[in-house]
Amino acid sequence: MKPLAVATQSIGNQPIDQSLQTGKRSVRYETILLVIVALVVVIIAIGSHGNFWSSSNLTSLLVDAAITAVPAIGMTMVIVMGGIDVSIGSVVGLTATVAGLAFEQNWPIALVVLLTLATGAIAGLINAWFIASRKLPPIIVTLGTMSIWRAVVYALLGGNWISTIPMTLTAWFVLDKLWIIPWSFVLTVVLVLIAAYMLRRRPMGRHVYAIGSNEEAASVLGLPTKRVKYMAYVSLGALTAIAALMTLGQSPLVQATTGSGFELDVIAAVVIGGTSILGGRGTVIGSLLGAILTQLISDGVILFQIQPFWNGVVTGAMIIIAVIMSLLNQRGAAHE
Amino acid sequence: MSLLALQNISKAFGGTQALSSASIDLNAGRVHAIVGENGAGKSTLIKIIMGVLQPDAGQIVLDGKVAAITTPSEARRLGFSCVYQEPLIFPHLSVLENIFIGHPVIDRFGNFDTAVMREKALPIFRSLGLDPDILPVSISKLRLGYQQLVLIAQALVYDSRLIMFDEPTSILSGAETDHLFDVITFLRQSGKAVVYISHRLEELLAIADEATVLTDGRVVGHTDRSELEPERLLALMAGKATRDYAGSAEQRKQAVQHEGTPVLSVEHLTLDPLFRNVSFSVHQGEVLGLYGQVGAGRSEVALSLFGYLRPKSGTVRLRGQEVRIRSPRQAIAQGIGYLPEDRKLQGIFSFQSISSNLISTVLPRLAGPFANIRWREVAKVVNRFRTDLNIKMGAPGDPIISLSGGGQQKVMIARWMAVNLSVAILDEPTRGIDVVTKRDLHDLIRSLAEQGLAIIVISSDLPEVLAVSTRIMVMNRGSIVASYEEVTDALAEDILGAAIGMPAEEEAQ
Amino acid sequence: MSRGEGVFRKIGENYGVLILVLVFTVIGSNILQPGILSLQNVSSMITFGVEIGLIALGETLVILGGGGGIDLSVGSMYAVSQVVVGLLAQRNVNILLAVAAGLATGVAMGFVNGLLVTRVKIPAIITTLATMYAFSGVALLLTDGIDVSAFPASYSFIGQGLIGGLPAQFVLLYIPAALLLWIVLSKTVYGQQLYLTGTNQLAAVLSGINVKQVRMWTYVITGFLTAVAGVVDSSRLVTARPDAGATANLAAITIAVLGGTSIFGGKGSVWGTAIATLVITLVSYSFSLANINSVIETGTIGGVLIVVILFQGYLARWFARGGRVSVKA
Repeated sequence: MKPLAVATQSIGNQPIDQSLQTGKRSVRYETILLVIVALVVVIIAIGSHGNFWSSSNLTSLLVDAAITAVPAIGMTMVIVMGGIDVSIGSVVGLTATVAGLAFEQNWPIALVVLLTLATGAIAGLINAWFIASRKLPPIIVTLGTMSIWRAVVYALLGGNWISTIPMTLTAWFVLDKLWIIPWSFVLTVVLVLIAAYMLRRRPMGRHVYAIGSNEEAASVLGLPTKRVKYMAYVSLGALTAIAALMTLGQSPLVQATTGSGFELDVIAAVVIGGTSILGGRGTVIGSLLGAILTQLISDGVILFQIQPFWNGVVTGAMIIIAVIMSLLNQRGAAHE
Repeated sequence: MSLLALQNISKAFGGTQALSSASIDLNAGRVHAIVGENGAGKSTLIKIIMGVLQPDAGQIVLDGKVAAITTPSEARRLGFSCVYQEPLIFPHLSVLENIFIGHPVIDRFGNFDTAVMREKALPIFRSLGLDPDILPVSISKLRLGYQQLVLIAQALVYDSRLIMFDEPTSILSGAETDHLFDVITFLRQSGKAVVYISHRLEELLAIADEATVLTDGRVVGHTDRSELEPERLLALMAGKATRDYAGSAEQRKQAVQHEGTPVLSVEHLTLDPLFRNVSFSVHQGEVLGLYGQVGAGRSEVALSLFGYLRPKSGTVRLRGQEVRIRSPRQAIAQGIGYLPEDRKLQGIFSFQSISSNLISTVLPRLAGPFANIRWREVAKVVNRFRTDLNIKMGAPGDPIISLSGGGQQKVMIARWMAVNLSVAILDEPTRGIDVVTKRDLHDLIRSLAEQGLAIIVISSDLPEVLAVSTRIMVMNRGSIVASYEEVTDALAEDILGAAIGMPAEEEAQ
Repeated sequence: MSRGEGVFRKIGENYGVLILVLVFTVIGSNILQPGILSLQNVSSMITFGVEIGLIALGETLVILGGGGGIDLSVGSMYAVSQVVVGLLAQRNVNILLAVAAGLATGVAMGFVNGLLVTRVKIPAIITTLATMYAFSGVALLLTDGIDVSAFPASYSFIGQGLIGGLPAQFVLLYIPAALLLWIVLSKTVYGQQLYLTGTNQLAAVLSGINVKQVRMWTYVITGFLTAVAGVVDSSRLVTARPDAGATANLAAITIAVLGGTSIFGGKGSVWGTAIATLVITLVSYSFSLANINSVIETGTIGGVLIVVILFQGYLARWFARGGRVSVKA
């Protein structure tokens, strides 16, 4: 058989369409984020006259970042596949309440952790059933579960607080450090790296991007779409439970409003981290950087003694800006 | 024994018979071309083989045993692949991932074994002449021609026994086409069964071992390589058209006078890569038939004139005055109307009533002083069209989905007749419509022209174009390739030939 | 399919769940709180219901317009507009001017939403999620988180007054608003254009309809209606609260969906939304009377939302099968 001429030679052009390579694209979005984070750190450090570097400030910053970044891993997968979950704030409340109640009953800490994770996973499972099996719109389903879990929290707490949280959690997540970095943040980085690895190297991880990229083609090719979606929502639930435990470490108190508004922080982190709302694109490392950035801004607001109410405005504005930039990027690259 | 045989397959959609008792034998190691105009049933055939559709009648015989291909996954498992006109890819994934995503190779840790997958891909890449350096690149960065080659690689990695190509060269350059043919030769020599669907007859000469001609859902001819002559195929494809047309020749003996300023005049309209340098004009009372195959760029030209697409360059004149139309709203205000190609996706409001569907273009006109819709006026308008167009319907307030396909199309046309138009562009006006309604609509088009409307009819249905047009233009690959000032039956083959890129026997006017 | 059957199917498909829930709620609330449907109670209910009812009307329009349209920021706009009125009143600005300013603020916020969704083309979910938090932050910033109570005595009429025995806000505001919107939707050019846009965006564009403008108006009208609702609320309590309306988006969306508005656009009506408002208000009110905490009440509404949308899917499939139980082929 005559060997086929090499395509590039016989066709006479390069396989890669040069017009799609713009200068911007050659610098990765995560690198830009890293630069921005560094810049913001510098600004805040200078502006706060060095208070930024105090041990207490750094610790609380890193723990806050950890709390936001862990669920952001799951949220990244959900949004890449074109979904969303606004119920995680209430899930934090739910899992924290369950943990608190178990602690009140003096359960051993290992068991409490397991119970908490299970609760989070089940909340994710319920969402997944409505969204992936019954094919209901994710925003509607999670709006509903958001309020349901909040009501469950209230019913379980009966208007009381739980403050009998053992200091072990605080020790684990806040006080104990690897050099100056709280273990919660180390755990976060480890989880992010594991997730990044699995999303890159495992079939199910690649399926996440395939489904987000072209769901129709995915079904035609026989990819297990439902299973992947279940995995994403259930993971998100379990990761939210971890964040809840970290929150308990930071402030050992469970009340009816625990976790309220948390979903915004996580969604902001994911969107700012470069995940496209339209699906198919986004990395967990970007989301980690996004979480760091959003918490940096929060921290800056406190350090500069700006009113905390600015947080909502700034976060909302950052989301809009991030989405606009992401849209511009996509449309720019699409021009032939 | 053939690899896959379809025997007497029939499939109908609503009122139209997409396939009637079509039979085809596909054998390993041979390239089987399927030829036919659009609407002839080719894509229905592919969908049945790929498990997307189920035949109404007939049987499928695989390796000598009767079989049913129930789902797309099943079709893939049986070893069938199809490379579609628009590559079906995951734009955010790399080339390697696109190839292996359904069939990944996993190492003992459960990870993607990139090394092994690379190894599997290398010989296939070599056979296809692809540079393995593109494996880690995001597939959206490749030119379409290379994306297609990657999909072929995907089919080969899946050990496909039957590989189908649906109009593959419509997105390829000349050199890329030559390379594709080398690849197809390689596939044939590797013992694959290849199905090659195309309307470009000159390509078939290069690679086909046999050809089946489909017209109106029927197999009208089958030739072996030895008898493969373009003229012969052309005659087969056009044959029915000539027969159908003969009846209506008398109806348009009067030549239409082309005096005075044309109603619509288009000069050098260009929107790369969809269409280039399109120039033509239409006068009052003319019916300009715009013929060509799918992808020729006709609808895109229409959508540009209608303001939905913006051309890069060119001039459009209405009654001699240059106009810039930037939206369908402006087009309608200027008296240009467009009946879309796909009424389900682009035309019908499925939740609304017949009235609402009909008046969607003229709402402001039917309003009173407070922008209130005068529903009584509306009912009068609807009933007028009901009689004029002979629409079988209940009350104007009935849901549009209670009408047949033909009835719905009539409402679509009435929607445009309600507007004060000077130019009407009808895109595939009788697609998916039963024969009786088809004839009604053709009569309607002719009478509208007689009343002074300038009409452009875009159609891939040759008999229709011949029956209804007073002038014909043919587009191929984005350019106007032929123009005929008078319509006679002898033209059928010429027109068809021009549409598919074959040089005409005689000089076209 | 005969005419009668067709009508039955249409009502059943779109309003079947509503009717079921209505019956269930009326019976249920009577069990929970016997005598709940007394004249006095109904009058009280109407007083509460007007606010969420106005917001739900706006939400209905936005969702009707299709294209993934939704407005999650309604609660925040509700808070900002009442806060604006309150702060101006505090500075002794003429109350009528203050109210006008509040309404104008609502329109402006609706305009921002509309701009981001229709011109910048950011999906509505994300846009209104972001503006929800941004606007809420604005309300808190303007008031330092403190309620504003310096209203003139006359202000309380809107929220507490009676006209002919019925609450003033109902007679003066809700009825006219609902009627006006009903007329707009069913009888005007705009209404038709909105339904068409929600049903098939492409066909609407190709019919010459300005889809961007049609959708823009839905966001602006919603902004206005939330502002009106905010005025009613602050008038009723004679207090403008920056944290008001935290759960309004959930309630509004639930009401819209319960009332037959399809989440994909093209289907919905003022009637359906009005009756659904009644149902949800009845639920809220009976919970209040039974001293059930508002958090539980909100959770119940969330549950209603999911149940409604779940069953609308089942109903649609049931009707598609001709109303018979499916036989596994």
